[in-house]
Amino acid sequence: MIEKSEGWQIARDRVLLYVRAMDLPPFQGLELALQALKESNASSIDESMNALERCILSKELQAEILDEEGKHIASIPPMNRGTMVSKNFDRIPWLTATKKFMRRWMRDLFGPSRTR
Amino acid sequence: MSTDTLEIKWTRAASWRRILLLALILLPTFTASHYMAGVLPYKGATLLEIALVVVFGILFAWISIGFWTAMLGLFVLIRHKDQFSFSQALKKQPLSIEDTEAKTAILIPIYNEDVPRVMAGVQTTLQALRKTGLSHMFHIFILSDTTNPDIWVHEEMAWYKLCQDEDAFGTIFYRHRKSNVKRKSGNVADFCRRWGKDYRYMIVFDADSVMSGKTLVQMVQAMELRPDIGILQTPPAAVNRQSLIARVQQFANRVYGPIFAAGLHFWLLGDAQYWGHNAIIRVAPFMEHCQLPRLPGKGPLGGDILSHDFVEAALMRRAGYGVWLAYDMEGSYEETPPTLLDELKRDRRWCQGNLQHLRLIFTRGFFPVHRALFVNGVMSYGSALLWLVFLILSSAEAITEVLIEPQYFPSAEMTLFPQWPVWYPMWAITLLGSTAIVLFLPKILSIAYIIFYTKKAHLYGGSVRLTLSMIIETLTSTLLAPIRMAFHSHFVVMTLLGKATGWGTQTRDDRGTTWNDAFQYHISQTLIALLWGSILYVFNRSFFWWMLPILGPMALSIPISAFSSRVSFGQKLKKLFLLITPEETEAPSELATVDENMTKPASYSPLPLSQNEGFVRAVVDPKVLALHTSLILRHRVAAPSIRQRREDIQKKALEKGPEGLSAKEKMELLRDPDQLRELHRKIWRIPNWEKAAKWGIE
Repeated sequence: MIEKSEGWQIARDRVLLYVRAMDLPPFQGLELALQALKESNASSIDESMNALERCILSKELQAEILDEEGKHIASIPPMNRGTMVSKNFDRIPWLTATKKFMRRWMRDLFGPSRTR
Repeated sequence: MSTDTLEIKWTRAASWRRILLLALILLPTFTASHYMAGVLPYKGATLLEIALVVVFGILFAWISIGFWTAMLGLFVLIRHKDQFSFSQALKKQPLSIEDTEAKTAILIPIYNEDVPRVMAGVQTTLQALRKTGLSHMFHIFILSDTTNPDIWVHEEMAWYKLCQDEDAFGTIFYRHRKSNVKRKSGNVADFCRRWGKDYRYMIVFDADSVMSGKTLVQMVQAMELRPDIGILQTPPAAVNRQSLIARVQQFANRVYGPIFAAGLHFWLLGDAQYWGHNAIIRVAPFMEHCQLPRLPGKGPLGGDILSHDFVEAALMRRAGYGVWLAYDMEGSYEETPPTLLDELKRDRRWCQGNLQHLRLIFTRGFFPVHRALFVNGVMSYGSALLWLVFLILSSAEAITEVLIEPQYFPSAEMTLFPQWPVWYPMWAITLLGSTAIVLFLPKILSIAYIIFYTKKAHLYGGSVRLTLSMIIETLTSTLLAPIRMAFHSHFVVMTLLGKATGWGTQTRDDRGTTWNDAFQYHISQTLIALLWGSILYVFNRSFFWWMLPILGPMALSIPISAFSSRVSFGQKLKKLFLLITPEETEAPSELATVDENMTKPASYSPLPLSQNEGFVRAVVDPKVLALHTSLILRHRVAAPSIRQRREDIQKKALEKGPEGLSAKEKMELLRDPDQLRELHRKIWRIPNWEKAAKWGIE
């Protein structure tokens, strides 16, 4: 637990640090901190942070990352689902494979011209 | 020319070319094997000698493939006129994509990578595309399979900053996959299932790939021109490395690479390989035909297919689409591993993947060339084991010769004339000479091609320095070859014995190998080489000298590994204009931009937390928390047992700080926005100074 004498100091620093972390414009941030500390009387960290949270909500300053339309930002485009199904490999015996290979090769070399 | 006519033309041309290649390989192999048998004391009459000749024959054929590929590549490049060349076909076309439906997704699959480097690459790609005026035809997807919680959050922050800086929301996308099933191929397949239908093509990058805008557009143009092509692979040039070994690799890739690529194109044509990155793929047939099944069975040769690219190329070809290598297309770059140990780490994974292909050689419907390429892949590592076997057999023969009394009358019949074991040094020298030609002539001709034909030696520091660089490269490769052989043999044996390999992340930055690491990895090899050398020295000193070029580097593998990874050595040579590549003398704008983007300062943070403390930032920093929770794709309400577990983790985090949590526990919290918000609230209310300081709240 914090010492009684330094309680207001820690509460003050914590609120100021949180406001800094929110990266608000200078006056807005300091006003927010001031309001929270006034409301809580900097009595304890808990009280001060609760007051800060209330102020943030009332001023709608929550750290939200929104897009141009005001929606939560998304890092992916809308989905357009497709399927990708694996087919099992039919691993044929080597002799059949060799015969087929020779046949195809002969056709490629000497067979008639073909179209698909 | 219609695509049907073209296909008939190239398949026929390819068949004849492959016959030529076979003849060029087999005839010298039989001749060399005959010589080899003649060199041996009993002319290949004993079992040991037969084994020696067979292994020698296989190895000679193997190196002949490389030799003739280079020779044919040189022929293609000097002839200059190639009816199947993409660059030549696209030369007359303006840089444009007429069909507005021909959208392309650039995929950057990443796994615990260096975030600033990845983002610098993405930024460079976007900037390069914008310069072509065709960036609206491309989307970039960063597909993260990252399992490190700090890196995950860092990736999200970096993506957001990049989109802000470049005004690229809706152009650059970021997706983190919860589970990295099937690794890279699964990552790409996941993209295809979610968004593949929106794109006609996808260009797959590696984490360190860079491509010029012109090349990206030209790849799309080539695919538009030839609807029969399923995959078009570009030959990436190795760049950006500073350590000695990496610069040697870089130099070799740049000097000999084009000739080998042209040679591969000569005999593969539309049956080429896909190397997993820096390639464009037609999405629809890829989705229909190229999903990989799991291989039946357990162990390293079963389960997920690790080297997916070769198999995907074979499947694409089986589906009737061509797979081509655009050997003369420039503006495609990648980076090589910075140290020998990093290279070996990658090789261990590749070795397992390539050996898995043994099980696929006779898969129904695969084209013969792809079966041959599977064998080729197996031999990339199997040849090391064969070489080792050859050396062991040779040593055994040398020792036997000393220890066992020769059989002067081997047949049962009585004869007047004994059979003397005869040694013909001239034959041995001829054999050694011809092997040296097969190994080194392509290098000499590559240099000659640059100096006398393209007249671009100035890009390599001038003719003299280019030649000196080749000598340095050859010496370094010769020193490293036995060390690589020993490791590759070990990988092959371990894989065949069923010892699995992990998917370790390859380091991509230029950090050297520590003496401790070098000692740990190379000590067994050193001891084996010393023992082997001592035995030979005692029993057959003349053979010991023959083996010294192989056993010497193995015995000295610890210092070789450590010194070759030194950046200072690489940079000293660079200052002397040795091992220089054209990308260093005339840096392409894309590579310069990557460097520039890498050096940009990180965004300002009011909290004393570094970018690398991603997890802590997600918990503490309200903005990072908001970003992270926004980006979580889907969040289901957790089952009570899971909720309880997560609450326990939360308590642990409050009690012990971030250091007290494992990576798995951090990942679990990061996946649950409610728990994360709750933890955020509690942490900002921690009254204890010391405990709060652990979270950067000071």
